[in-house]
Amino acid sequence: MTTLTLRAAPPERLDLAGLTPAALAGLSDGEAARLAVGTSRHALALGDCFAITLDGSDELRIVGATERLDRIGAGLAAGRIVVEGDVGQRLGAGMTGGTITVSGSAGPFAGTAARGGTIRIAGDAAESAGGAIHGAPAGLDGATLLIGGRAGDRLGDRMRAGLIVVREAGDHAASRMIAGTIVAEAVGDHPGYGMRRGTLVAARHGALLPTFVETGRQDLVVLRLLAKSIATHAPWAAALLRGPMRRYGGDLATLGKGELFTPVG
Amino acid sequence: MTAWIDGRAVERDAAVAAAAELLAGARSPLVAGLVAEAAAVQVAYDLARTLGASVDPAASAAIYADLGALASAGAMATTPAETRGRADLVLVVGRAPWASGLARDLSADAPVRGRAAGRPRTLVALGGTGDGAVQHVAYPAGEAGIPAALGLLRGLVAGRVAGPHPLADLAARLRDALYGVVVYDPAEIGALGAEMLTGLVKDLNETTRCFALALGDPYQGRTAVQVSAWSTGQGPRVGFGRGRPEHDPWRFDAARQVAAGEVDAALWLAALPAPLPAWAGTLPTVALLGAPTGAEARVVIGVAVPGETEGAALWHPGRAVIAWQEAGASAAGAPPSAAATLADLHARLAAAPPRRSAATSELSASC
Repeated sequence: MTTLTLRAAPPERLDLAGLTPAALAGLSDGEAARLAVGTSRHALALGDCFAITLDGSDELRIVGATERLDRIGAGLAAGRIVVEGDVGQRLGAGMTGGTITVSGSAGPFAGTAARGGTIRIAGDAAESAGGAIHGAPAGLDGATLLIGGRAGDRLGDRMRAGLIVVREAGDHAASRMIAGTIVAEAVGDHPGYGMRRGTLVAARHGALLPTFVETGRQDLVVLRLLAKSIATHAPWAAALLRGPMRRYGGDLATLGKGELFTPVG
Repeated sequence: MTAWIDGRAVERDAAVAAAAELLAGARSPLVAGLVAEAAAVQVAYDLARTLGASVDPAASAAIYADLGALASAGAMATTPAETRGRADLVLVVGRAPWASGLARDLSADAPVRGRAAGRPRTLVALGGTGDGAVQHVAYPAGEAGIPAALGLLRGLVAGRVAGPHPLADLAARLRDALYGVVVYDPAEIGALGAEMLTGLVKDLNETTRCFALALGDPYQGRTAVQVSAWSTGQGPRVGFGRGRPEHDPWRFDAARQVAAGEVDAALWLAALPAPLPAWAGTLPTVALLGAPTGAEARVVIGVAVPGETEGAALWHPGRAVIAWQEAGASAAGAPPSAAATLADLHARLAAAPPRRSAATSELSASC
């Protein structure tokens, strides 16, 4: 297993985009140490900040990570990245495959534009997890994003495809959502603001928008299939999906083909 | 007196030298504020490029609420002058347009050009308390707030929400108008609200004409947007740490960077009035101010007030362009302009480039 161990708290944000197991596999220790990761005029290289152990395998371990490490796993296509600690913004941005696990918490825009693979965050995620960055056409775009703790506001903002499972999310979950699925134990106020299509399932929710209308009690096979598919990731979510559900359609401000499911009673 | 170091009055040249010293030694400097004329904002971007600094205007909150909507959904926008000439219906969203006086100005006349010429102008308000002296029809936004009400209005206009509703009458007015204008403050309704408002305007253009009119901000934010666009090709929150302009509205948020300890020196530019950020007193800061007291930051340099003590190109809120404003009567004896002061500072920094190689080798051991 290839290991990067952070020697000390970095003096600036570091950009780890492109540091994937495949990219490191063909490099010598010296070549890896010279990879640019700094974001200031000091031009920090990987070897300035990390102790590097390369073995050419498809697993990369990042030890002692902090919230100043941005874009970990960005562009990952295959293999596995294991992070011990916290991460900064845009975890797994644009990844197409492989898995990323984070033992701590993530900064904003985790999984943005990620088209495939799985991201698992044990702790919390900041705003716009699975959401689009400024001006981007889509947030999460086919990957799976699992958050063990609480996500900030605008979870899944402008998400286009894929699955997010989260314990708790802030306000405006599923805002501007294009398509995809979000399952949460609790979401804050005004979920689905500007939602076009897509599915949001929440055991509890804050205030609903006036542009979401109840369409009755539903017993849908697709929810049970979803329960089956995520039972191994999140047993609580599977249990939620197997119960009887009330459905709301929205956001009628826009296309209105999205839906919010919440347990009956 | 126009220059101070640590609160003590000094010669202007000494203060500029101290400013150059303070900024040249920084690892991750910040250039913030940009509440100044276009020429000064331009030199501030040049300076940031030389320093490898990040840039954040004081007006960023309002700027990015609108730029986010523009980048995601486009815009159909107009200017105050066109609104006065052409609009037969003006929808005032929220409280800020009333406070700015724009709503009152628009109530004073009627359309004289275009398809609505000769019709009276009606003012309607959504979620604002209005102005008792201006005749208008007020619609409440409800407990859910203005962004939710904008969504509901958009659903009603498009016919996706039906049935009797207090806002149905407002939706009918918007559909029936020949030239509608929706006035709003992006900072008040936020990025999601601004994008929904843009969607409402676009939906209305399926059958009639309607445009959005964003209030300008008082901190020359629109100037910063334009200067940044022609200098970097991107929005104003950019960083030059890697030698090229990187646009990242989250990373280069000045308040966030200071709170996270990511910047170690700053230049605050406010030739026009703007609230001084709290960090000016704690972070090593050079402040270029139009109305200094000398105690605002470690190095304070007084500069001319654009449009008052010197002629300058500033954002003209009525015409929605950068326009020349002549100096007022009090120009004699004013300090040099912010642009000239920044150019002096820039020349000193460019002549003695930042000490990067030594710092890098020091860092290799400490990182």
